[in-house]
Amino acid sequence: MSDPAPNLAVALVGNPNTGKSTLFNALTGLRQRVGNYPGVTVARKSGLCDLGDGRKVELVDLPGLYSLAAASPDEQVVTDALAGKIAGERVPDVIVLVADATNLLRNLFLASQLAELGRPAVLVLNQADVAREQGLRIDTAQLSARLGGIPVVLASAWKGEGVADVRRAIARAADERRLLPPVVWPANIAAALAELTRAVAADTGSAVSSAEAQRLLFDTNATLPERLGWDKERRDPAIRAAREQVRRSGYNPLAAEPLVHYERLRKALEDVVTEGTGRAGRTAAVDRLLLHRVLGPILFLGIMLGMFASVFWLAKFPMGWIQAGVDALKGVVGPSLDATPMLQSLVTDGLLGGVGAFLVFLPQILILFLFVGLLEDSGYMARAAFIMDRLFSWCGLNGKSFVPMLSGFACAIPGLLSTRTIEDPKARLATAFVVPFMSCSARFPVYALMCAAFIGPLYGPGWESAVMVGMHCVGLLFAVPTAFVLTRLVLKVKPQPFVLELPRYQLPKPRDVLWRMWQNAAEFISKAGTVIFAITLIVWALSYFPRDPGVADRVRAAEPTASAEVLAARTQAAYIEQSWMGRFGKAVQPVFDPCGFDWKITVGVLASFPAREVIVSTLGVTYSVGEGAEADSGHLQQAMRDAKWSAGPRAGTPIFSLAAVLALMVFFALCSQCGPTVATLAQETGGWRWAVGSFLYMTALAWIVAALVYQLVSRLAPPA
Amino acid sequence: MSLDFVLVCAFVGAATGWLVRRWIAAARRRKEGGCAGGCGCATKVGKKG
Repeated sequence: MSDPAPNLAVALVGNPNTGKSTLFNALTGLRQRVGNYPGVTVARKSGLCDLGDGRKVELVDLPGLYSLAAASPDEQVVTDALAGKIAGERVPDVIVLVADATNLLRNLFLASQLAELGRPAVLVLNQADVAREQGLRIDTAQLSARLGGIPVVLASAWKGEGVADVRRAIARAADERRLLPPVVWPANIAAALAELTRAVAADTGSAVSSAEAQRLLFDTNATLPERLGWDKERRDPAIRAAREQVRRSGYNPLAAEPLVHYERLRKALEDVVTEGTGRAGRTAAVDRLLLHRVLGPILFLGIMLGMFASVFWLAKFPMGWIQAGVDALKGVVGPSLDATPMLQSLVTDGLLGGVGAFLVFLPQILILFLFVGLLEDSGYMARAAFIMDRLFSWCGLNGKSFVPMLSGFACAIPGLLSTRTIEDPKARLATAFVVPFMSCSARFPVYALMCAAFIGPLYGPGWESAVMVGMHCVGLLFAVPTAFVLTRLVLKVKPQPFVLELPRYQLPKPRDVLWRMWQNAAEFISKAGTVIFAITLIVWALSYFPRDPGVADRVRAAEPTASAEVLAARTQAAYIEQSWMGRFGKAVQPVFDPCGFDWKITVGVLASFPAREVIVSTLGVTYSVGEGAEADSGHLQQAMRDAKWSAGPRAGTPIFSLAAVLALMVFFALCSQCGPTVATLAQETGGWRWAVGSFLYMTALAWIVAALVYQLVSRLAPPA
Repeated sequence: MSLDFVLVCAFVGAATGWLVRRWIAAARRRKEGGCAGGCGCATKVGKKG
């Protein structure tokens, strides 16, 4: 039986990080993802909430926002929903404002703006438990009296405290219909607002509300005039005249709104909040150190270095076990397929060689996400973002750009989607263009393979983690000047203010961290079992066929005195060289020769354009098939260390010299090797122009920088 | 034509077909305004207004 139609529509609004989505879950019983960053709560979510008196309400969870001035696409949803301007949607009967009890003054700014909408409201002071721990005491009765008698409730949605009180408060607000008292504007500002309202009515014939008039007066990037159809030639002089009137009252027109609201709120909160002694002082003391202008970035770098060093050190043994397991499986499966040599090669060289080489990195991925989870849940990641924000604002990017770029370190696609939170279309475009530069987790197995096979054994574990951190910075190093040129010279983006929430420090919950680890591990394994598996089969086929039966005779004729083992290895190498993959790789290799790539690496690079981590399995296949029986029992890393140039001026020297290894990693750090990312960029920028431009720019840049690195390092450290 | 060759062709053909189908499905999802997939993210975004 379906639920009866809800009696009321209730909207849940509030600043980000106030626990709004947690309260929504507690009130509706629905599960929903809760996150800290813009972009997580993009879609509107709704659910049924039982008020306990027989009435059911439709509760709508709106994206978090700091002010009604916001004009980004998701924030626009909030203002439209609250004003009842979404077709087919009910105007909310009650607005539930969720505020952080530990930071009332800032959170009530939104309440002060919402008063203009003239809707019954409830104020929920969430995270009351944290406020108690910090020694804060809040007189809810007095606060309610100063806010027009609207219900004010203390709650801790995370612990389930006060949720029943919130239900009762919604019922009371719907019955009593008490409103937040609107702000009383100084005379000149009130006159300017009235003048603007008249001007809009005269020019467009539409009536604007007082909330809308305020947006026209106070916002510089409001989309409202376009939506009203107010002609630019008429509106600009009208808005300019209204702002001049505000200036005459002694206020800066762009700062007047917060000044007036905060003045009023400070009075409303007098004697309402009593401060005691608590944990707030400790958080501030830690922040003074971690967010220090000089020490902050140094500590951040130190934490990153420590994290990667631990990843390598802790993962070493489980990686060895997985490799041993893959080898054992080869030892069991290989002989059982002796009667069908083609199938035997497909299973041992293709599947176990390729997918096995990829799966070996599972422990590193697990440990990496364990550390990322600990940093996120402890509250440090938001501080890291704050440190990085200084860099982004220097290169002219909108303050909000750091969120998509931070997401880009996990995967470029959610990073690109979260650029929708940036209101300025030019800043959105510039951010989307540089997001793919961020070192996503797909690049990790490539760096890990090179570091484990060459950097670690040659220079020690310290350099292994230093190179890993360095590779994660290479993308940033090129993203910053690219963004600078785009924002300052090409698109001419205007700087925008940005508010970043710094959550309190807390002990991470083991269950949440382990759950995130598991999600990432499951994704990695599923990728190995699906896309990597399928591409490996195709790469194997291309490197196996055509199988010319005369190859073995020709090898034997060329080296009549060679032992049977050497002949077998030479035959395998000759087979792969004359395969489709070998022919194609050799034809294209001259393009990558300045980067120090041989034809096998070239094949790996080309096969990685749909997804960059494919190179690991591709090298796994080409080195298994090409090196014959000798390599079958060994590891990919050893096969790569043994690989030498067979002809040309570098004959006899290692293919994977330090120069080639660094060039290959730099190439992967900068190249646009991800089909879904290019397609998503096209989708987000509204056409293929920018996506193709990004692909060509990143690929050319990767080639140039890799060639420079190879040529420079070859001269400084020539291969032995 | 040996059984060996037939089996290998079947495996490689199935893998190629599956990849092509997957790419077509991803393109369709993108067209509808959702996440292209392949990143494991749970982001679901409605059509742009």
